[in-house]
Amino acid sequence: MDGLTKRYGELIAVNSISFTVDRGEIFAFLGPNGAGKTTTVEMLECLRKPTSGKAFVLGSDISKDQEEIKKRTGVLPQDFYTYERLTVKETIQYFAGMFNSHPDVDGLIKLVDLEDKKNAQFKHLSGGLKQRLGIAVALVNDPELIFLDEPTSGLDPKARHGVWHLIDGLHKKGKTVFLTTHYMEEAEVLADRVGIIHNGKIVAVDATDRLISDYGKKNLLILKKTNPKIIPTIEKLGIEANYDEATGDVTVHLNHAVAVSDILRALTSSSTPFGELQLKRSSLEDVFLNLTGETLEEESRI
Amino acid sequence: MSHVVIDLKASLRTFLRNKSTIFWTIAFPSVLMLLFGAIFSQSSMKYDLYLQNQDQVNGKATYWSDALITVLNSTNAFNLQLVDASINATDYAIANRLTSLLVIPSGFNDTANMALLTHGLMIANVTFVYDQSTSSAPVVRSIVMSIVDKLNFELSRGVEYLNVQDLTIAPKRFGYIDFFLPGVIGMTAMTTSIFTAVSISARFKENGVFHKLATTPLKRYEWILSRTIYNVIISYLGMAVMIIIGMAVFSMKMTLDVLSLLMVAMASLMFTGLGMIIARFVKDPDGADAAANVVTFPMMFLSGTFFPLSQMPLFLQSIAQVLPLTYVNDGLRAAMIFGQSQQAIYNTALITGLGLASILVGSVITKWEEE
Repeated sequence: MDGLTKRYGELIAVNSISFTVDRGEIFAFLGPNGAGKTTTVEMLECLRKPTSGKAFVLGSDISKDQEEIKKRTGVLPQDFYTYERLTVKETIQYFAGMFNSHPDVDGLIKLVDLEDKKNAQFKHLSGGLKQRLGIAVALVNDPELIFLDEPTSGLDPKARHGVWHLIDGLHKKGKTVFLTTHYMEEAEVLADRVGIIHNGKIVAVDATDRLISDYGKKNLLILKKTNPKIIPTIEKLGIEANYDEATGDVTVHLNHAVAVSDILRALTSSSTPFGELQLKRSSLEDVFLNLTGETLEEESRI
Repeated sequence: MSHVVIDLKASLRTFLRNKSTIFWTIAFPSVLMLLFGAIFSQSSMKYDLYLQNQDQVNGKATYWSDALITVLNSTNAFNLQLVDASINATDYAIANRLTSLLVIPSGFNDTANMALLTHGLMIANVTFVYDQSTSSAPVVRSIVMSIVDKLNFELSRGVEYLNVQDLTIAPKRFGYIDFFLPGVIGMTAMTTSIFTAVSISARFKENGVFHKLATTPLKRYEWILSRTIYNVIISYLGMAVMIIIGMAVFSMKMTLDVLSLLMVAMASLMFTGLGMIIARFVKDPDGADAAANVVTFPMMFLSGTFFPLSQMPLFLQSIAQVLPLTYVNDGLRAAMIFGQSQQAIYNTALITGLGLASILVGSVITKWEEE
């Protein structure tokens, strides 16, 4: 993608974004609702024409080779929906027909674990099952690249984990997965690399762990309900510690220079007692907060 | 092309699984046919004929006047209503708003005998009093004429100078059901096509089916072609069911020619296009259904589906002149029932033009996605 932009009148939905997704990786495009994720992915799927900028999907130009791109990619649209009265099996056969492909239909049904629902009509499937069927449909043409737009939006945790498992399986088969999500945890669990989009602009693109180590807070060790007298013991090791009067907890800011085992040894040798220990890893949530100055709205948390 | 076949198969399969569409396209019009047919066919097969027999002796009908009345009765074409011989027939007809009244004058029997004796030098007259402005009176008159002439023929024993040659055939009569059947076929083609086009165009946009289809190699025109063929098939299905009911239940005679088949297909095209146009401008599915109702409901009643246009007030008749269903119904009636091939050709040509234009406009403006 190079300077890809989409305007709707005055509104700039996607503002000159440029990045690359490597073959065989799971790339998560992360951002809050309305950030421009779906607009971007729909330009890549050749559903919307960019106002300006260029993009290549599997080497094909999105403004020229739409047919070629459609043939070689699979798409799970946001809120996947299809003919209500076709069964699971018929739906897969229908879309296979559209791609003139002859996939192993039963194999696909098995892959998404819908074997006991294969003769159920689409309208009778639950949200999670609909999404799983959507993923099976996205695979009918054995695509090299799969776009998944908000694949777990609105699903309960159990259904969400089922879909994650499926996506992980696709990755293991060597497929490239381009995923949009507003769930931090989803990106963190699944993605090799993450692109963060905010108000139509890319704020960071990098490997997931590197983003966290670069932009996340340091990892924390929390000593619950502990006397602040212990702080000098810790600071002797050359690391920072604070006391939070409201909670009565002592927070230790971990860094790479000192191993957690050294801190624990120092604590046990000190005479001051300490409370329950809690290790808090930094997450993409902190990355997002640091990069945009905003937290994701409450509803988008898992 | 294989995409069209695949989508068509999927939509027909969907049709068979959807009880409400089956109800509206087959069961509902069938019930209408049976119901309206049963209500109206009885009375409309017979006309009221008022009859005054002045040719009586001691209150008893004379031989020839009785013979005429018997013949009139035997045709089963009329409900004969006898009028007292002493009153003024014309005044009575006006006062009671009768459309037709037949008067057998006194002396009819004698004159008839004389006519027989003189081989037609004298003619026995009956008087037919009727209201020219009504549609039924000329029909009644022509039936009466043919019956009288039939009687003349019997009296004359085959002697040709009684002017009987061209009056041996009674005119073909049409019942309400003959009128109604083509109307129901036209109406079903309209409702099926408009509602299918409107609801799927609006609904598929709303629920995301179009969105998914757009990500496949299926072309928009292929999809529209499939849905149009689907509507034509469903309209033919409705037509077949109506014809079967008409023939099996009402013993109707009709012709099913290329014109009527073409008319139904083109009507379906026209209304499919109209539905797509409606769906383009009214975006949410419920609003689109309401808009489709606004379009179909008046057409159903004003286009001569249930009653002849001639029975409606003039201003409604002039509205009917601009409703496309009027031309569909009249064309189908002309082709299937009345055998008026010229009107059938004219109407079919008109609807073919409108149908092609409408489906073209509808196809061009139907978008799967906002760009």
